[in-house]
Amino acid sequence: MINTKKLSNKIKYTGTACLIIGALLIIFSFLFDAKRAFYNYIIMYTFIVSIAVGALCLIAIEYMSGAAWSVPFRRVNEFLSSAIPFLIILVIPIIPGIHTLYHWSHKDAVDTDPVLQGKSPYLNETFFILRLFICILLWIIFYIFIIRNSRKQDYSKDIALTNKNIKISVLFAPFAVITLTLTSIDLIMSLEAHWYSTIFGIYYLAGTLLSGISAVTLISVLLAQKGYFDERIQRRHFHTFGMLMFALNVFWAYIAFSQYLLIWYADIPEETFWLLKRMNGHWQYFSISIIFIHFIIPFIVLISSAVKTNLNILKFMAIWLLAAHWLDLYWLVMPAFDDHSLAIGWVEAGFPIFTVGIFILLFVYKYSKVNIIPVGDPKLKHGIDMFLYPDLSID
Amino acid sequence: MSYDATYTKELPLVPERSSFPELDEVVFKPTETKPTRAWYIAFIISSTALLIGALSLGYTLYYGIGMWGNNNTVGWGFDIINFVFWIGIGHAGTLISAILYLFRQKWRTGIARFAEAMTIFAVMTAGIFPLIHVGRPWLAGYLFPYPNQHNVWVNFNSPLLWDVFAVSTYFIISFLFWGLGLIPDIANLRSRTKSGIKKFFYTILSFGWRNSNRHWQHYERAYLLLAGLSTPLVLSVHTIVSFDFAVSVLPGWHTTIFPPYFVAGAIFSGFGMVATVLIVLRKVFDLKHIITIDHLEKMNKILLLTGTIVGYAYAMEFFTAWYSGYQFEQFVFINRAFGPYAWAYWIMIACNVGFPQLFWFKKIRRSIPVMMIIVILVNVGMWFERFVIIVTSLHRDFLPSSWAMYIPTWYDAGIFLGSFGMFFTLVLLFVKLLPSISLTELKAVTENAQPKNH
Repeated sequence: MINTKKLSNKIKYTGTACLIIGALLIIFSFLFDAKRAFYNYIIMYTFIVSIAVGALCLIAIEYMSGAAWSVPFRRVNEFLSSAIPFLIILVIPIIPGIHTLYHWSHKDAVDTDPVLQGKSPYLNETFFILRLFICILLWIIFYIFIIRNSRKQDYSKDIALTNKNIKISVLFAPFAVITLTLTSIDLIMSLEAHWYSTIFGIYYLAGTLLSGISAVTLISVLLAQKGYFDERIQRRHFHTFGMLMFALNVFWAYIAFSQYLLIWYADIPEETFWLLKRMNGHWQYFSISIIFIHFIIPFIVLISSAVKTNLNILKFMAIWLLAAHWLDLYWLVMPAFDDHSLAIGWVEAGFPIFTVGIFILLFVYKYSKVNIIPVGDPKLKHGIDMFLYPDLSID
Repeated sequence: MSYDATYTKELPLVPERSSFPELDEVVFKPTETKPTRAWYIAFIISSTALLIGALSLGYTLYYGIGMWGNNNTVGWGFDIINFVFWIGIGHAGTLISAILYLFRQKWRTGIARFAEAMTIFAVMTAGIFPLIHVGRPWLAGYLFPYPNQHNVWVNFNSPLLWDVFAVSTYFIISFLFWGLGLIPDIANLRSRTKSGIKKFFYTILSFGWRNSNRHWQHYERAYLLLAGLSTPLVLSVHTIVSFDFAVSVLPGWHTTIFPPYFVAGAIFSGFGMVATVLIVLRKVFDLKHIITIDHLEKMNKILLLTGTIVGYAYAMEFFTAWYSGYQFEQFVFINRAFGPYAWAYWIMIACNVGFPQLFWFKKIRRSIPVMMIIVILVNVGMWFERFVIIVTSLHRDFLPSSWAMYIPTWYDAGIFLGSFGMFFTLVLLFVKLLPSISLTELKAVTENAQPKNH
């Protein structure tokens, strides 16, 4: 039953090359400038969490809402979320970096700073590491349960497995929100330990869902264009991907704007220093570009209905939005490293290349083992038949 | 594959008595028969409440807002609490009719019309409060920026002004959306009615609708556009209401999660109110086969979801207050939970976060009496949420010499009662005068109404 059409070896070689080049560059960057590399590592880690956990969230949303349109593409989500077990390895390099990255981990700094003293029951190394691992463990547990049921269904075609997964997904939902909130507060917000914003967890969550849906769109479009899917999958199916990318991007912008406006308007020094850093020096140009890259351009491009069924534009915008999420994380993390100028050089290059490598190789591996279409899912036929318009087949 | 068909077959939205003439009969029956005794009793109660409100408001207008419990420290009392409460209730209608429409949720058809009507009445009720809150409502015309000989201009930097624009735009679009959806149904009523005066009004309101193909095409296009337009509008309204608080520097008001938290809360309270009234409506007008238990179960799921989001916001606020290390913020939250208004805080937590958690159980989601109790508690909880946000943040000022308690007067209570009176009077008139279910949409989701090729 496993996929009859094989992936071309080129993909595997590209993935391996990305992984090796990326890994080498990362090693060199740690040797060259460890501090800067640690900051970049946080970006990479949170980005991988965004895609992997974001994809798992989308699977859970599909089960909870009973959506049928996304069932033919669910395996793509599952393949992406298979990075979750590797997080337990990927998180390890952060631990020796805590001292370099986090001001609150310096005992002498905390001793002279009453604000940090107040936070120390939460921001201390033991609890920090514990939280990181608890989050990962929770993701792994839910990942294993959901994916196992989904795979079993390929052979047993048992409806009870769908019902089981609905229950697990509902349980996962609150945990997903809480764990992503904690991850964002711990890894990103506490880089500037004095700063706080109640919306921060939602801000990261919005970026996570957006990059999750963008990654799924990208891979699904590529597979559909190369003919790896059922021929009944039509351009109309991708309209919904376009809508969701548009909607989640607007949601991200809404959250980002809310955070900005409220801090700017109230103008209290406890909060504004964080924004001021990003509104001065070279960062001001970067901040303004983010508005265009992450919101205005995708908004204008994706608003039209014709674009949402144009697979090439959709593919381009998916890559665009993934890059935008990386830049957004860069914007959140890097001013803590250098509050005046942008650090962009070869040091920054290794991390995204490595990330691309991981996901390609995981995909290739999973593709050789698991059906690309969940053939046993009771909603599959409904999902495929949902849009039967002869004029919109993929050319 | 046969099991495919059985699993994905959606439950019929209109299970029985689904022939078109029968649907006509049951939906139009309230508009074509004389009001029942129960309706008169309900109408007497609600219009009495409305009169009490009018009287209290009359006193207020005559003597001034000194009749209220507001004081120097707690400058925003029942007036703003009720405004936010009612404007929040006005969010469910557009969510059901526009956002669920964009999400292709067909089950919305049975309840959309009614929820939209409630939105409009809730926004009308809410609109009274800022007007009387300004103290001299006859000067409220200056809220609209227009060149005048006094050279008086509004403050464009103030979210209170953005509210004027957001709420009025929202009202207009919701009204158009609702009115547009009514046209085919009113045309249907026009064709059925025998009474001359009814025919006259229905003829005017149906705008010459003749069910022609071209009419339908335009109608569907306009409906989609208005759904798309109302979606950002509905989010903007409560976002801006949250800005009223959050742009300030006041601990307890200034926090960045306010916009999404207020929107979720508004949907939560709106669904609470819609569910409360629907449970009564479906029984009184014998609509149990159209507004089925499945509809109510789905609404309960949304209540659970939004209630939990609100709970997340409460938790984040509390956590961040502690995490911020900002002592005033910390004081406000400790004071909320354990200070003189702790009872209000715990009512809020119990009703908004606690009781809706019972909806995790399918039995409770499908039990009408339990559901009725929970949705009423949701209404109570959401009113107290606004009370907690406004009063507890204000009553302990920065200087302890300015600390004060807020005690509403009978006039506050009377106006509050009057707002319920106004809302329910309008609802009662609506269900007797216009079809409270969108019949044309309902017919489109009956069994075999859609052509199926497979």
